[in-house]
Amino acid sequence: MIFAIKTVYSNSKYLFLSVVIFSTMLVGLLILSEYIFLEPYVVSHIPSGTEFGFVLIVTISALSALVLPMNIFRINILKKSKQKMGGGIFGSIIGAAAGACSCGPIGFAVISTFGSVGATATAFLTNYEIPIRIIAIGILAITYFTTVKSLKTECKFDPNS
Amino acid sequence: MNKLGVILAVIIITIIAWVTASLSASPSETVNLDMGRTHGTISTAMGSPILGDPSAPITIVEFGDYQCHQCYNWFHNTKPAIFQEYIETGKVNLVFVDLAFLGRDSPKAAQATYCAEDQEMYWEYHDTLYTSQESKIDSGWANTERLKAFAFNMELDMELFDSCLDSGKYSKRVQYNSQQARDHGVRGTPGFFIVGPDGQEQLGGAQPFSVFKQILDTMI
Repeated sequence: MIFAIKTVYSNSKYLFLSVVIFSTMLVGLLILSEYIFLEPYVVSHIPSGTEFGFVLIVTISALSALVLPMNIFRINILKKSKQKMGGGIFGSIIGAAAGACSCGPIGFAVISTFGSVGATATAFLTNYEIPIRIIAIGILAITYFTTVKSLKTECKFDPNS
Repeated sequence: MNKLGVILAVIIITIIAWVTASLSASPSETVNLDMGRTHGTISTAMGSPILGDPSAPITIVEFGDYQCHQCYNWFHNTKPAIFQEYIETGKVNLVFVDLAFLGRDSPKAAQATYCAEDQEMYWEYHDTLYTSQESKIDSGWANTERLKAFAFNMELDMELFDSCLDSGKYSKRVQYNSQQARDHGVRGTPGFFIVGPDGQEQLGGAQPFSVFKQILDTMI
């Protein structure tokens, strides 16, 4: 596990990519879920009762930042298939989508544009926000372990590694 | 003379019967609206009664939906401090205006608050809804039966409340309020306008007390 992480993140390009993914996802999701406000002042707060949601957002961002650069490394350096990359992207997207609160501007725009269909979709994302994020974490965790396993195998047998 | 008396009696009886019939056909709830009420550029005529001192120099206009969980967060985490520090002290008052867009039960819940207002229990009913809110939208917690159950628990006159809610008496009022929100660029709930003597400031989302304090203190 440490071998795979060292192999990928010893390259500063992938470390930088990881930091960018983590900070972008974290800030984006925290804004969407109203933990951070940009106007009229930049302010952050964790309302009581929403602490678990906050922890899930941090976890999804961290896992996405870990898994996505590893898969990009596999594709770029080892010229492997993009199959496992799909799991990471899928997990990140569904984790992010669950944060598109139906009360907020995104939900409002979707409901205003698509009417009752939009309302049903945003209601689903809001009602099942926590389970969806837990599923996203599960997908990212599985993708991480399978990626680490493949990196160990592929790097061992790849003469160029 | 007798003939004229009979004709007059028939006319009077007919008028009395007509007036009685029309009164019994329409619900006897009274609508207590100041049709000219505005705060800043917002027409709050169809909104809630004013919470706090009506002559307070600053008004917070809150646009909200009873099924919105961020409105729930604001109600429980920020509003109590604003109430204690600014509303109770007469510095600020608050008006709630509906932006009922989240689900099919949202407009009905908003209408129910005005049915409670007919019995002078608007804010009590409003608070009950935000205290009873469940995390899932349209899960049934705010359906017609539950709205009536809330009214029953508050010991409202159920005949009046039921006829008000079932007739959709305040449907247009809620639609008007939602249109006010859209006209003023509110793009989510809760949304706020803080209206002071020198203008108004818009705030989006369930912002913490510190933000409100900063704005209110500069306006006072």
